[in-house]
Amino acid sequence: MKNGKVPSSFRDPAGFLFKEDGLIYRQINQPYQEDYEHLMKSGLYRALIDEELLVPHDEVEKDRAKSDKAYKIIKPQLIPFISYPYEWCFSQLKDAALLTLTIQKKALKFGMSLKDCSAYNVQFHNGKPIFIDTLSFQRYRSGTPWVAYRQFCQHFLAPLALKSLRDTRLNQLLKIYIDGPPLDLASSLLPFRSRLKFSLLSHIHLHAKSQERFANKPVKPRRAKMSRVALLGLIDNLEGAIKKMKWHPKKTEWGDYYQATNYDSHALGHKKELVEDFLEMITPRPRSVWDLGANTGLFSRIASKKGMRTLSLDIDPVSVEKNYLECCEKREPNILPLLFDLTNPSPSIGWENKERMSLLERGPADTALALALLHHLAISNNVPFSMLAPFFSKICNWLIIEYIPKSDSQVKRLLATREDIFTDYKKESFESEFGKFFDFHAQVDILNSSRTLYLMEKKPR
Amino acid sequence: MVLVYYKIKKQLLLTQTLLRLPKLKRGVQMKRFRLLLKLILGYAIFLTVVPPYAYAYLDPGTGSYFLQLLIGGLLGALFSIKMFWKNIKNFLGSLFKTKKVNK
Repeated sequence: MKNGKVPSSFRDPAGFLFKEDGLIYRQINQPYQEDYEHLMKSGLYRALIDEELLVPHDEVEKDRAKSDKAYKIIKPQLIPFISYPYEWCFSQLKDAALLTLTIQKKALKFGMSLKDCSAYNVQFHNGKPIFIDTLSFQRYRSGTPWVAYRQFCQHFLAPLALKSLRDTRLNQLLKIYIDGPPLDLASSLLPFRSRLKFSLLSHIHLHAKSQERFANKPVKPRRAKMSRVALLGLIDNLEGAIKKMKWHPKKTEWGDYYQATNYDSHALGHKKELVEDFLEMITPRPRSVWDLGANTGLFSRIASKKGMRTLSLDIDPVSVEKNYLECCEKREPNILPLLFDLTNPSPSIGWENKERMSLLERGPADTALALALLHHLAISNNVPFSMLAPFFSKICNWLIIEYIPKSDSQVKRLLATREDIFTDYKKESFESEFGKFFDFHAQVDILNSSRTLYLMEKKPR
Repeated sequence: MVLVYYKIKKQLLLTQTLLRLPKLKRGVQMKRFRLLLKLILGYAIFLTVVPPYAYAYLDPGTGSYFLQLLIGGLLGALFSIKMFWKNIKNFLGSLFKTKKVNK
């Protein structure tokens, strides 16, 4: 973790985040003093912490201040892995939206209101969404409309409506539009039936029209009054709309992978045992594990149950959704399912290409699992072993990887409809290319299969 | 914010017109200078007295503002009715509960 100001923390003049010696701090600037004091003294902070809705912080010595504007320095609890809304499945985005509205309702009870509603203010920690921006609260002034209403609709409501009513892949719009998809775009993409729901008709379609009508026209704040009841009504309506949103996943190639492939139970059992043994062999004991191509997280859970913080990454929205719902149901704190396409992982985006980190910037993991993955990268995506080995060496220090030979039924399936141009797809070339970047600690053939599991450690540079 | 902006713009326009006037006699020039000084002072006082608009950091968008006001009344009324029913239900529920306990 690099020392210095966090590149994503610059929009709000109330303060900013900075890193020092592996820890994260937040400078609160003088203009925010009264709002911060209200947050702490009104009882709102305590209420949010007690319900685990907001990330807790400690106040520390002011000598760490990065500028003379500093009023206070706080040390928020560190979130080990930062994820972004375009990496979340439907239910994750829905839970993040509901958390934001719960916080807004609670804030109003204590005379405060959220001044922004960015989806980036929510992170997943210990299996639950949590709000991370302590400076998002400002004292509520009666009569004022909700300043973050537009942002809430763009960051949460529109993407959720698009995912639920049009296509779940449309959350990728969040990657293109860093402040959420514009409402006129969402309005044009949503099906006609969305206009039959009052909430979507008003918060998205009429909202888009209203934005168009009043574009570049100034507001006269003194004339614009909105009662507290009207504000509560608005929030209640948004909450109701989001709670009602459902996504019924269509059957995908991967959703029922383990049932569909009719995995040999002996092979599967042996593979599980091997992964467990390999994880125990790693020293020092891994704190973070990335399961790449995790499907619904069968193998991720071997690591997470050992108390290792595990990311369960997969390209398939149905698998990630199933995985997340299982995490919620079983209240698993150490596993975080996320939507990732390894052939095109999240890039660094935003201002100066630094605001939101790429996958590689968020690594490396102590250990990566690449089970039943190699053939998809090497054959479906044509990446040669000579490029796969350095990639893995960038994202992890230890690697548990499964080699699947061409004789395997799954590889045969990939090659069934195309010419076999993969002359280098051989165990020898796999071992020689990976041997350039990794030291092999173990390799075991999986019972009742033609596959081999390797335990590798990155070579010191 | 917008109101503040308009007030400032008005004052600036006045200042600009004053500066653009042709050269006049010394006395008139002094008068103009004093007026300018007053305007600057007035502007400074105006900025200190009028607090900065609280929502300066995020642009709420005019369209979003007006839509909230438009639907806010209706949603507020619906919310009030909802709360009213909830209270009645809770009240009846509690009556029922007490009866059960009494039995």
